[in-house]
Amino acid sequence: MQTNFTQAQLADPEIAVANEILRRCVHCGMCTATCPTFVTLGDELDSPRGRIYLIKDMLENGRDAGVEEALHIDRCLSCLSCMTTCPSGVDYMHLVDHARAHVEKTFNRPLADRLMRAALAWVLPHPARLRAALRLARPVRGLGFLLPGSGMLTKRLRGMLRLAPRGLARAAVVGRVYPAMGARRARVALLAGCAQQVLAPSINAASVALLNRLRVEVVIPPEAGCCGALVHHMGRDAAAREAARANVAAWVAELDGAGLDAVLVNTSGCGTVVKDYGFLLRHEAGAADAARISALTQDISEFLLKIYQPARVAPGLRVAYHAACSLQHGQQVTAPPKTLLRKAGFEVMEPKDAHLCCGSAGTYNIMQPEISAGLRRRKLETLRELRPDVIAAGNVGCLTQLAGDGVPAVHVVELLDWMAGGEKPLALS
Amino acid sequence: MTPRDEEELAAMVRAAAGPLRVQGGGTKADMLRPVRAAAVLSTAAMSGITLYSPSELVLRARAGTRLAEIESVLAAHGQQIIAEPPRFFGPAQTIGGVVASNISGPRRIGGGAMRDHVLGVRAVNGSGEILNFGGRVLKNVTGLDLAKLLTGSFGTLAVMTEVTLKVLPAAEAVGTVVVPAADARAAVEVMAAGLGSPFSVSGAAYLPRDARAYLRIEDFAESVAYRCAKLAGGVAGAEILGGEESKALWAGIRDCAALPPGEAVWRVSVRPSAGPGVLRDVAFAGVSGFMDWGGGLLWLSGPATRAAHEAVCAAARGGAGVWWLMRGPEALRAAVEVIPPEAPALAALRRRMTAKFDPRGIFNPLKMWAA
Amino acid sequence: MRAMKQLDPKPEILARRGEIIAGLLRILPKRAVIAEAVSLKPYETDALTAYRQVPLAVVLPEDEGQVVDILKFCAAEGVRVIPRGAGTSLSGGALPLADSVVVGLMRMNRILEVNYPDRYAVVQPGVTNIGITRAVADAGYFYAPDPSSQLACMVGGNVGMNSGGAHCLKYGVTANNLLGLRLVTMAGEVLELGGTHCDAAGYDWLGLVTGSEGQLGILTEVTVRILRAPEGARAMLAGFASNEVAGECVAAIIASGIIPVALEFMDRPAIHACEAFAHAGYPLEAQALLIIEVEGSEDEQDATLRRLREICERFAPVSMRVARTDEESAAIWKGRKGAFGAVGRISPDYLCMDGVIPTSRLGEVLRRIEEMSEDYGLKVANIFHAGDGNLHPLIMYDANEPSSFARAERFGAEILTLCVEAGGCLTGEHGVGVEKRELMRVQFSPGELEQMRAVKDVFDPHWLLNPAKVFPL
Repeated sequence: MQTNFTQAQLADPEIAVANEILRRCVHCGMCTATCPTFVTLGDELDSPRGRIYLIKDMLENGRDAGVEEALHIDRCLSCLSCMTTCPSGVDYMHLVDHARAHVEKTFNRPLADRLMRAALAWVLPHPARLRAALRLARPVRGLGFLLPGSGMLTKRLRGMLRLAPRGLARAAVVGRVYPAMGARRARVALLAGCAQQVLAPSINAASVALLNRLRVEVVIPPEAGCCGALVHHMGRDAAAREAARANVAAWVAELDGAGLDAVLVNTSGCGTVVKDYGFLLRHEAGAADAARISALTQDISEFLLKIYQPARVAPGLRVAYHAACSLQHGQQVTAPPKTLLRKAGFEVMEPKDAHLCCGSAGTYNIMQPEISAGLRRRKLETLRELRPDVIAAGNVGCLTQLAGDGVPAVHVVELLDWMAGGEKPLALS
Repeated sequence: MTPRDEEELAAMVRAAAGPLRVQGGGTKADMLRPVRAAAVLSTAAMSGITLYSPSELVLRARAGTRLAEIESVLAAHGQQIIAEPPRFFGPAQTIGGVVASNISGPRRIGGGAMRDHVLGVRAVNGSGEILNFGGRVLKNVTGLDLAKLLTGSFGTLAVMTEVTLKVLPAAEAVGTVVVPAADARAAVEVMAAGLGSPFSVSGAAYLPRDARAYLRIEDFAESVAYRCAKLAGGVAGAEILGGEESKALWAGIRDCAALPPGEAVWRVSVRPSAGPGVLRDVAFAGVSGFMDWGGGLLWLSGPATRAAHEAVCAAARGGAGVWWLMRGPEALRAAVEVIPPEAPALAALRRRMTAKFDPRGIFNPLKMWAA
Repeated sequence: MRAMKQLDPKPEILARRGEIIAGLLRILPKRAVIAEAVSLKPYETDALTAYRQVPLAVVLPEDEGQVVDILKFCAAEGVRVIPRGAGTSLSGGALPLADSVVVGLMRMNRILEVNYPDRYAVVQPGVTNIGITRAVADAGYFYAPDPSSQLACMVGGNVGMNSGGAHCLKYGVTANNLLGLRLVTMAGEVLELGGTHCDAAGYDWLGLVTGSEGQLGILTEVTVRILRAPEGARAMLAGFASNEVAGECVAAIIASGIIPVALEFMDRPAIHACEAFAHAGYPLEAQALLIIEVEGSEDEQDATLRRLREICERFAPVSMRVARTDEESAAIWKGRKGAFGAVGRISPDYLCMDGVIPTSRLGEVLRRIEEMSEDYGLKVANIFHAGDGNLHPLIMYDANEPSSFARAERFGAEILTLCVEAGGCLTGEHGVGVEKRELMRVQFSPGELEQMRAVKDVFDPHWLLNPAKVFPL
């Protein structure tokens, strides 16, 4: 596609990258079809192609973001379904990341919006803060209907309350190194994450237990924390890079110390970003280290594929595998989780329109409650058609989003650990 | 008037003082409404295949070329007209007439109608201008598809002088699965199962006289054997007919051999599941017939009376379908709706359309509609 | 950049912009009207980005009633109307005019009825092409026309352009797979054309409207035939040493009496671009590639493939491979169907031609295109439906280089003129749109164009519907 940047504009390396991306796009429109918001809202402006065009126009004119640009860019889930579909290989992810940062920088959001976003950015990436917030929210979890009005703020608060778990486990035991059971075959760092630690500590517990059982030593450096994805998707570029730098430093210390065979991520939303640290920090001093970490990073299912062995007789459960967008589109990891579940003895099924997002998408279910609820409904309908005993996914956001519909939703590793001799997932008992 | 070429025909049109009965071999004069015209303009003398390229699946012929001549040339190259037009109208039938009436045989259900394979048309409009629409290639969406508009317009818009058709190789073999069917409803079920099978059924008909439904397969010999066996498998009383018997059977269905001579004849097209209802609803008026196209096409015959005709119209309407009065005495054809009347908005469009092609209203006036 | 002349906007309409938008807001919900300059910008073009024009407004109706209201309002106000589906037209079919209201049908995306015993489905125009097949696939059915953009393109646009696809050699194009339409005329009248039965009594309005590129009305409902899928299908790849040899092989296949369900051709640049996207195992060493698909049971497929291999062997193929699994077949088709976009990997911009030629002229026409490519200094990738002679030369250019587009445009016009001279036509399935409008004179005489204009007059006497398309100005 033709672009109209001046030489002066192109001297800005960020604009130069955006220009390269835009030039790849031939405006064929294939991406519109697999975009959840276009399918739901039926407006070019809520399609990847429409957003690309809005962004192009905004950047070419050096314009601050206005209400319209913010609205349509905010509505993007960053599910990256469009990138799977795109025949031209347009790097939509980095373009929309750029645009989000531009919106954050140049658009003056309404006060309520700003407060909500600041609050989320302050709480979610920090387990202790989130735990405290949820403790406050738990008693009123079911009282969302009492919130007055039908405005966006009310809908968002209701959405937040719905996400609060019924019970709250104690903080996961923090340790530094979890040794392999038996002769060590590999040593990995595991991203402990942020919100997941609080919302579903069983995922990390199962991950560590399973890896140890498979003779893999796991290290969780306490200096590593949130991956930065949550703030990254809010356009808070500086905060995202700060998180990335901390993690890179922590893992590189391990890598250059006792050594690492991989950095594993069991929340695919985080994995997409960690695999992109090399790009995120490309202009910084630690760029080379960041690139090394990104190259070393795998989704836990990719790593397990080579070593997983079940130890129990399968209970014959029907598992509906929900492909998290960050895994299937962001990381293009599609077969491994299904292969592993089948190897573990489960009957694995996939819903119709598996490429469509469930509406979780980081903080999207809070910030865009209506679209998110619509996508959740749609996803649950297609999952129900499969009559599954359990829903499995590789991303805690999806699990939280899909919970509460009568079918237990658990992480793939929880099922894998169970069949390898670990505990039965709590949600199944 | 029987012009020998297009220029002569155009000149005759320009010179025409009044209405013209436009025809090829004149075999469909008893179909639809009678045309009152001082003169007959026939394309019968404009005959001959002007282009035939078997490897490109294309045949072009002047409008007055007889259907039989085209079919024999095609057969010599192992090819055929896809829509399998009926020979119900006798040997003088021309390709121009077949296209102008868009009448297709059993293969329509799988292979498409005449109108689906008309690639191009040359024609003379009511102002005597020679026009060429479409072309000689298999795909063409250049401009408005006036070739489609002329196909099936019974010479009321323009006089076709040449047509170009897509043709296909004739199948190496043919076979028929014969299934006993107690009544039309049972037959439609059998035919729906066949047409809903993955076996590319190329004909699905029911003859009440035989109490049998017929499913045709045309393909390479090994495929015909395999597919017929699959279709017949597990169906009580099903039999398989070989090639020669099949050819005779389907020629009879195509040419309506089952219809008694002398009576009025109608065609009704409905969605297939509505076919049995049509047969039932016309019976009281002494009208009967058989089903083709999986139940969607009914060839009917009965007394040439207004009452019988009204019964056919009501039955077709009941099935949300359409009818054509294919044969009948002039008085009847002049008095009734030979095809369904259009909704008012469409009728207005059609009148404006006719005027754009034939401003003087000289081509087959009132052939299709009374007004 | 925009060499193509556009129709002048009506100043009195531009002057009354605010009033017209207010009027639209009176008859439509707020969410259905787009009038902000920033938001109108992405609607300025479709998949032919060389032509662009921001419209006066965009409306997104949700039902037929709203379509009727919009057209009645626009007719009364003398406002031009541009229908739009998914915006995937390669001929600029959805290009707006400055004084026009774009009517986007993307929200009318419901499947209204599926009837298996009678083998039809009734859908709204905003349903995607593949959406129909997905809706009936569980029952073993499919909707046959399959344009390359089938994932995204919408049925309304398919009818408007009479879209074909890779499999129309056997199954026909859109016109051959329709039973009925509901069409709203510019006057706001709703016409029911056809129904659920075969063949029209009276004029073939269905056939006339199909491929009429939004000149006659706006569709609100489409009734399509659905077909039972064959037992199985398999694709085979045959690579050849030259375009000519591959072309001769195509003719030999057709002459043998085999009509494969699909018979597709790619030349070397196309092979490389598509392989980079789909990883389908296309032979990178070949100068030309045929993708041939056969259907039926395993045994039937084997038998037909055996016949096809024998024919291909006669033309000294540099490679021959039959897909072993459904995944391999899917990858082969993914490459072919994403071909246009995949060219985006090797060139920032392209113009996609759509001329048709008699298949006997294939080798000669490809040779001429190659010569022109050198003359114009622009690369070209050829991807097309070989069985029916429908060529898709993709002319690669760089829109950021000022003279590049003008050269590409002239190159394209020369290719299409060549197609017509060879006995073919300007467009096989993409439509005339704005792109080939002026070339219509190459294919049609003034009298023929006049007759077409007269038909347009019948439906839209004031020429408010999608003007400045199809007919030369």
